[in-house]
Amino acid sequence: MENINNSIAVLVRKLNPITKLLIVFCLGIGCLIYPLPFVGYGVLCLLVILGILIGQGKQVLKLIVGFGIPVTLMLLFIQGLYSPNNKTMIADFGFAQMGLEGTMYALKISSTLLIFLAAFYLMLQTTKNSETVAALTQSGLNMKLGYLILASLNVVPQMQRKVKVIQEAQESRGVETSGSFIQRTKAFLPLIGPVVLSSLTDAQERGMTLETRGFGISGDKPTSYIKVETTGLDIVLRMIAICFLISSLLPRIL
Amino acid sequence: MTSTLIQVNHFSYRYNQETEVALKNVHFEVASGEFVAIIGANGSGKSTLCNALVGLIPNYFVGFSEGSIIVDEKDTAAVSVGELSQTIGLVFQNPFNQLSYTADTVAEELAFGLGNRGVPREQMFSKIKEIAELIQIDELLDKNPLELSGGQVQRVALASAIILEPKILVLDECTTQLDPIGSRQIMNIIKKLNENGITIVMVDHDMERVAKLADKVYVIQHGTIVLGGTPEEVFCSPHLAEFSVNPPDYYEITKKFIKPGYSERDFALTESQAISLLQEVILYEDRNQKPQA
Amino acid sequence: MKIEIKNLKHKYPSGGEALRGINTTFEGSNPVAIIGQNGAGKTTFAKHLNGLLRPTEGQILIDGESISDHTTAYWSKYIGYVFQNPDNQLFLETVRKEFEFGPKQQGLSRHEINDRIEFISDLVGLKHRLSTHPFDLNATEKKFCTIGSILMMDPKIIILDEPTCGQDVEGNQRLAKIINYLKNNDRLCITITHDMKFVVRNFDQIIVMSKGEILKSGNKYNVFSDVKTLLESHVAPPPITRVGQALRLKDISFSKEEFIDHFTRRIHQS
Repeated sequence: MENINNSIAVLVRKLNPITKLLIVFCLGIGCLIYPLPFVGYGVLCLLVILGILIGQGKQVLKLIVGFGIPVTLMLLFIQGLYSPNNKTMIADFGFAQMGLEGTMYALKISSTLLIFLAAFYLMLQTTKNSETVAALTQSGLNMKLGYLILASLNVVPQMQRKVKVIQEAQESRGVETSGSFIQRTKAFLPLIGPVVLSSLTDAQERGMTLETRGFGISGDKPTSYIKVETTGLDIVLRMIAICFLISSLLPRIL
Repeated sequence: MTSTLIQVNHFSYRYNQETEVALKNVHFEVASGEFVAIIGANGSGKSTLCNALVGLIPNYFVGFSEGSIIVDEKDTAAVSVGELSQTIGLVFQNPFNQLSYTADTVAEELAFGLGNRGVPREQMFSKIKEIAELIQIDELLDKNPLELSGGQVQRVALASAIILEPKILVLDECTTQLDPIGSRQIMNIIKKLNENGITIVMVDHDMERVAKLADKVYVIQHGTIVLGGTPEEVFCSPHLAEFSVNPPDYYEITKKFIKPGYSERDFALTESQAISLLQEVILYEDRNQKPQA
Repeated sequence: MKIEIKNLKHKYPSGGEALRGINTTFEGSNPVAIIGQNGAGKTTFAKHLNGLLRPTEGQILIDGESISDHTTAYWSKYIGYVFQNPDNQLFLETVRKEFEFGPKQQGLSRHEINDRIEFISDLVGLKHRLSTHPFDLNATEKKFCTIGSILMMDPKIIILDEPTCGQDVEGNQRLAKIINYLKNNDRLCITITHDMKFVVRNFDQIIVMSKGEILKSGNKYNVFSDVKTLLESHVAPPPITRVGQALRLKDISFSKEEFIDHFTRRIHQS
């Protein structure tokens, strides 16, 4: 995320995380509510274009192809051929008939999933975890809950670091960590124990640090180093997102 | 006027799962503005004492305690660690334990404690800048704290405690991973903080340094304070060796040559004392030998 | 065993240059100390010596064979590495199992392993702790546990990364004993440390590193008389040596005994 620096990427990165969360939410839910699946695919195309613009095109496409195609095919197979709602048949495969209702439903679900996935991916790539949590705490999320979320989000990279260190230690003691799949699995198993155990000890020590650094002291209202601004652009984008959500409701109400 | 800032009253402690006591009847006082060094073999209870001073014992650890510790008129057992942290700061032995693990950058790490105190964001910047320059980590401010070397994290850990401006700073072997010049710089900074009125309690294995910096030295063995006093009193004690502690190297090399009449002192505990004493010895001997020549 | 390092360079993926052309040779069993500033590249350099890091440029030859031809696991039979932070290198339930792990990988017999445990656990001072969980050891014991687990594999060369960190008088004496044992048994010990007292007491050869390069190498007399180079690499001579230098004694002193001897000669010279 550090090496993309065109103006659009900078702009996206500067957006308030809450705006991004709102957009992810409205796009996903909106497409789910809207009766026809084609809006969803339109939105997905827009997300891919956005991805390309901020230098994440390859990754977004990979996500869609790698996850989207198999899931869509599976949904089409189950819903299209066997959905109880199928009334209008559009194709006949001999062993089963493909129904319009099920097909539409499958396409809609898959497009919603993909939108959530792609939008959330783009958000993660352009937002620091600490910023997201700071924005949430600043709009009223409990400080301790905020810490909990942030600490959990950081667990994965920490574990990865730890695994690497333990792996080095094991290699230095004669364990082959590269080579065949079986060899790698054999090397990986003894890693689990120490990683989990040291994470537990870490948690205890983390608690000590937090206390001695005055975490959660009563009296003062906590402040944050990270300032999350809400710019005009944020407001406009939020309005658009909400309008999108409302407009997707319209065909259902009318 | 000096007032008592820390009062350890016959304090004993045993960790829940252990059979032996970690601290046994520890009793001493620290006056405001004092520089106190705690020395002794590993496993003697030095880190446990540090944890007790900042209230992690008995508030955070599960165990059995007797006696009391009063820090700045507050009983550590009666107030939370968070509240005590307004007065007393701790730099852990393992610097990685000091990190909040939620900060993406060193600057955010330093801001963590300030944020908990409700320091306005605008004031954070100037404080972070000031402390980062003092501890010489200004080039690290944008780096991820988890990707720093041990020596660098040690500086960050110290900075994160100093930035909270505690009245008392407890340092548990806080320079072990720094190079010799780096740790000397850090010690000079700590000395300067002490001269500005901050009370220091420091656990250390470097006796030359302890003798140079500390006003009071306490030797701890098997959880008990077995010897205490000024560096002179402690390092000249005939019992020192029994507690697995050696005096600074300067002590023996000067003791050997000082004869009555050379100087007012008859031993040295610091480098500058040793050099000036031995220079006097050279002058004295040169003067006495010239007439015979 | 002989390690030849030829124009070793290492660049981080981020672009930073950690090692900038190192040339040196390790041979024999005279213990070597690597000293220098934080961030000078000492650990990065050491991690090349058992293949954990691979050179970006240059070569490392172990008895003439390029280190890149084999994995670290292969080289672990010959070169042992004790990391700076013991926490992440202990991964079994008891100290005994930690000690057994390496030799088992090497396929040693039960009998032989037990003999080694007997001897090594005594050397590192953990004989009474063999059935303890490594997480229940204190920081110094953990360090000795990691040293023991490497000694158990009986490598020809052993690298210790800051073993003196946080050690008390007794711990330092034990380390000295281990280094001496290695020397007497024709094993080469390479140690990274910031403790200069420890360096002058235990090491015959010293390598001074600064900014990814070797600034100076030689015996303690050569190295510690060159105060200017030392300062450049953020190192200062040990206390006794500094006093001797300040008094302009003719010979450099590293121990109290040496100092007393040199100073006695000085005051009786005229």
